Amino acid sequence: MSKPYNLNELLIIAAAREIHDYENVVLGVGLPTTAGALAKAMHAPHATLMMESGIIDFEPLVPPNHIADAHSCRGFSYATDLFSMFTMTYRGFADVCFLGVAQIDKYGNLNTTVIGDYYKPKIRLAGSGGAADFLSYAKRTILTMRGGEFAEKLDYFTSPGYLEGGDSRDKSGLFPKGTGPSMLLTTKGVFRFDPETKEMYLSEIHPRMSVDKIRQDIPWDLKISPDLKETAPPTDEEIDFIRKFAPTEVVGRELMFELSFNYFLKKAQQQGKA
Amino acid sequence: MPALENKVMGAKEAIGKFVHDGDHLIIGNYTVGTCVELVFEVIRQGRKGLTLYSQSGVFDVEVLVGGGCVDRLVSTYVYRAGGKQGGSAVERGMKAGTLQMEDYTNFDYNARLVAGMHGFTFMQVLEGVIVTDLFKKRSFLGEDKYRVIQCPYTGKTILTVPAANPDVCIVHVQRADKFGNAQYWGALGSVAAAALASKRIIVSCEEIVEHDIIKSSPHLTIIPAYRTDAVVEIPWGAHPTEVLGYYNIDRPMYAMFFGADATGDGLKAWMDEWVYGCKSRELYIDHYISKFGSAGLNEIKAKAFYSAPANYGSAFTSYWNEEGKARGLDVTLEEMEKLMKERGMFYE
Repeated sequence: MSKPYNLNELLIIAAAREIHDYENVVLGVGLPTTAGALAKAMHAPHATLMMESGIIDFEPLVPPNHIADAHSCRGFSYATDLFSMFTMTYRGFADVCFLGVAQIDKYGNLNTTVIGDYYKPKIRLAGSGGAADFLSYAKRTILTMRGGEFAEKLDYFTSPGYLEGGDSRDKSGLFPKGTGPSMLLTTKGVFRFDPETKEMYLSEIHPRMSVDKIRQDIPWDLKISPDLKETAPPTDEEIDFIRKFAPTEVVGRELMFELSFNYFLKKAQQQGKA
Repeated sequence: MPALENKVMGAKEAIGKFVHDGDHLIIGNYTVGTCVELVFEVIRQGRKGLTLYSQSGVFDVEVLVGGGCVDRLVSTYVYRAGGKQGGSAVERGMKAGTLQMEDYTNFDYNARLVAGMHGFTFMQVLEGVIVTDLFKKRSFLGEDKYRVIQCPYTGKTILTVPAANPDVCIVHVQRADKFGNAQYWGALGSVAAAALASKRIIVSCEEIVEHDIIKSSPHLTIIPAYRTDAVVEIPWGAHPTEVLGYYNIDRPMYAMFFGADATGDGLKAWMDEWVYGCKSRELYIDHYISKFGSAGLNEIKAKAFYSAPANYGSAFTSYWNEEGKARGLDVTLEEMEKLMKERGMFYE
């Protein structure tokens, strides 16, 4: 009988399994870093973990606060700059990278810039950061979406997936062959891309989720894998690692804020302040 | 700027002298170790009409825009507090039409600075962006946001960005000497490029150290003295952000800021208290301690993890050996001069 686990833990391990041994892995903050640390500790001990701020070959001891957080490790092997991180990606040295998604279409094109009009935004989101260049040139890209949405048409086209599908990405001549998004991980399931049409399909479904519930979020007729599986659960060993390494990722934002705010107040009160 | 001049001054004097209304101002730091006190001083001095460059415009951009200093913003990444219900100073400014923003990717933004720092007029960037709205939707840079050329060697389509040479860079580092040799380590990001592309550079640092310390660790120097205009020693100068080797991010303080930043009134109240209400970093830290106690600050102080020293030594430091003879020539100075005279080598 294995340990009970939650959705956050399921997502972290699903992402970690996309990292293979000996790969160069570009991590983003939050779920990907925890996934990277887990992969390195479990099944990919020779992976080189890196962040776009130029921190290369680091072993996170606590989850980084952001992609320039050298406080999260005890040194690292190569300190380069952001410019060189992207030129190495351009030259094909980044095997896999992770990107967060706000809006995605059926061919894996992304919007992380704006909801509504670009010039007079309804909601102004973060922007590209490294996303557009990583999705263009990393060999594989793992997409994660936790608060975002599926859209027939993006409000703003930030990062190139498979463009209009089929061979349109390859035919554009702008991207190395075979690159592009390889997987989308959401709170409901795992989506992958058809090798021919490049259209996204549902490949795995999380526990207690139904295909109907997933379809409700998607404005097109979603294709379902003929051998749809339930997302593989984390092992006890993986659960133990995740809880020790990243309790904040495990409990989720809401509980994390509640606990840390209470602690902050308690400390202040003990000192007779606030 | 002469290299060996003492450039140490206070934040007030440095910003007063070198940051002017209407300037193109660049934040040197990327994501980490933000030059928070220099940013606050720009706001307190009421600078207006700035074109602001910030690679990842999170805390710095929010307070500068919230302080009414910025008309135009060039960035790749901005922050938005509080999910769908929340907001940001950038979003509020764009909605009100008081702020224009030009979006780049991380690489493209950095490439503009790399072109600028080396004196080139443009830089080749990664062409995939051509299909996206980053290329298609343009704000105040218009045609000059990106241009496409053909590679003269391969015929390939090449995407380019124009060089950027901001008027002034403000940047926080770990340590510097009084002449302005600035040392920074950790996540290098685009820090050196942002500073060196700029016409004027204001450095704040956690500590000013002796020139000898700099000379024994030149691999850490990212800005040379001859480029620096002002050096300001500001312990805790990046709080609530973090400085490697000095302190971690102050998460509760950071979270409180973004809680406040979700609304315009919230941000104004926060800035009244922490920016306008504290006229210097010392007063800011005093206020922090009087409000929250010092436990929070003590908890985030870094424990040392020293870099292995790099050996800059060599076999000898004088041409003349212990016997007073020139190495490899086997003559003393007197013998050498005698020999030269005998050979008729002097103007006599």
